[in-house]
Amino acid sequence: MALTRDQMVILYRNLVRADHFNRMMYRRMMQGKLIGFYHPAEGAIAPGVGASTFLNKDDNLSPHHRGHGITHMLSKGIDIKYYLAEHTGKDTGCCKGRSAFHFSFPEHKVYMMSGFFGYNFAPSVGWGWAAKRRNQGQVVMNCSGDGSYGQGRAHEALLMAQNWKLPIIFFCENNGMSIFSTAGEMHPLPDISSLAAGFGMPAAIVDGQDVFAVAEASLAAIERARAGKGPTFIEAKTLRFNEHDIGTPDLSGWEQRSEDEHAAMREREPLAIATERVLAESVLSQSEIDALVEEAVMEIAAVEEFADNSEIARPGVEELLDGVFAR
Amino acid sequence: MRTITLIDAIREAYQEELRADDSVFLVGQDIRGSIFPHTKGLVEEFGPERIVDTPIAESGMYGVALGAAQEGMRPIVDFMFGGFSYVTFSECSVTTGQYHFLHGSQHALPLVITAGVGTGQRLANDHAMSIHGTFAHHPGIKVAMPSTPYDAKGMFKAAIRDNNPVVIPWHMGIMMLKGEVPEVDEDYIVPLGVADVKREGSDVTVLANSLQLQHALKVAAELEGEISVEVIDPRSFVPFDMETLLRSLEKTNRLVIVDEDWESGGVAATISARVMEQGFDLLDAPVIRVTLPNMPVPGGYMEEYVAPNPQRIEAAIRAVCA
Repeated sequence: MALTRDQMVILYRNLVRADHFNRMMYRRMMQGKLIGFYHPAEGAIAPGVGASTFLNKDDNLSPHHRGHGITHMLSKGIDIKYYLAEHTGKDTGCCKGRSAFHFSFPEHKVYMMSGFFGYNFAPSVGWGWAAKRRNQGQVVMNCSGDGSYGQGRAHEALLMAQNWKLPIIFFCENNGMSIFSTAGEMHPLPDISSLAAGFGMPAAIVDGQDVFAVAEASLAAIERARAGKGPTFIEAKTLRFNEHDIGTPDLSGWEQRSEDEHAAMREREPLAIATERVLAESVLSQSEIDALVEEAVMEIAAVEEFADNSEIARPGVEELLDGVFAR
Repeated sequence: MRTITLIDAIREAYQEELRADDSVFLVGQDIRGSIFPHTKGLVEEFGPERIVDTPIAESGMYGVALGAAQEGMRPIVDFMFGGFSYVTFSECSVTTGQYHFLHGSQHALPLVITAGVGTGQRLANDHAMSIHGTFAHHPGIKVAMPSTPYDAKGMFKAAIRDNNPVVIPWHMGIMMLKGEVPEVDEDYIVPLGVADVKREGSDVTVLANSLQLQHALKVAAELEGEISVEVIDPRSFVPFDMETLLRSLEKTNRLVIVDEDWESGGVAATISARVMEQGFDLLDAPVIRVTLPNMPVPGGYMEEYVAPNPQRIEAAIRAVCA
């Protein structure tokens, strides 16, 4: 479905924010100002923005881990300052500083992130099942990578979603890489979305470097799910410009990724692609773009200030034990 | 009071909670056709929307419960046999147990995990292993197991109403055990975390649960006049009622722990260590455990002498009193 000018502006603005947030996280990791890992999102910021921008607050979202879900979460309207505070071990963090780099925003229906890749497939079935029971148009956006589709859980979720016609979008962000291993080696067919055919589920492949194409496909799938027509599989073909996580070698298999490969990838930078289009179609002027960039820079400065000015979380063991069970 | 079986008591708990709260539902495999009788007749009353069968895909099946609980529903997930929970163990142990705590204690996860467990059917490991000890090892999950029909109905109702994940298996060896239970719809619960002195005695305390509780009561009755045996049913392993156990030891000063889990790393080991830490001065003899030897549960005719049984319990009682 064609996007309106307003929709394109919102998407472009979120893409600018996603790009700047990713740069900030990268910088902070290099400065030693983040706890744990950071899996940089450069080259792969468009899928999360395109899939998440037009979700409602009561739609379920499980972000892809790349960029630590920030591109997805900011697009859904979540204030990232609580996540940065978490990522820096602060008591104002979204999980009170207990989770390292994980997140949970239950009021936005972003429940969790786990190190067990593919963790989100099983609960997605439950979210979709609850949504169908309630019958209020709620949908589930399950963002996972090509690597996670190796999990048996993924296949179980596709099976049950299609059996029960659950309102789930299986949004696969295929960057062709899981750590060092390539999707070409780990999957028998070039398109992960070909799995959908085995379950009789409709599937679409989109250019994951084009935020507008991703959003169009996502909107169609969201509308289909809201109408009670069941799940859709979307495969966004994207790229991972950096290594898997900062500090890990940038290998393909067991050899360094080549400069030629990097040069070819850089030709497909998602913000550059979007900028060219909004200027060409006069959706935004250069001065309007400059203003959006300035706005993102200011937002991020405030987010960092919030996190940096918060106290480190060091509750006593008794207080922690008291939080193991709910009342 | 009526007399009904333990498995019927569980079914009544489901039925009454399903009627009382629309967010309660069951999910499992072949539960509509009641592969075990605790779900008999439920689909006729509540429909396939609330008595949900899934394909043989434990992760997805458990995911229905996990995701729906996050969405504020109160699922009961039935693994049929306890060993089958291992197929989706990352979800039902790690992810489930850590969910509330690791995310800042801001969001409850109210769900119930049940399954048939235990020795006595000659089924071998996959279909006979206990799961309470393994789940008890993972923080954030309550673990309980009923030993009588009265406790079964009250504990299942308490588990369904609890705002936390509760693992509450039932032992296949006592599924047809009969006992007194209040009239239908006479609401009561048996709170989780409260032990029950099933028989009073003064020479030795035997802590036993489920089928092994029945074995312990039988042995205690046989030893009457010779050794006075107090039998305590912990009912819950998490939270564990240490107070009731220590109070008993003040009187008996001797302890036998019977547990159908393996000897190594089981709840019997944990309880024994806690008694040493908190009640060392109460003991006149070392604690003796009667557990499964550290081998996969054999099937066939070997099970009856490998698993804890009345003979082994009696020998342990005599040894600790010697």
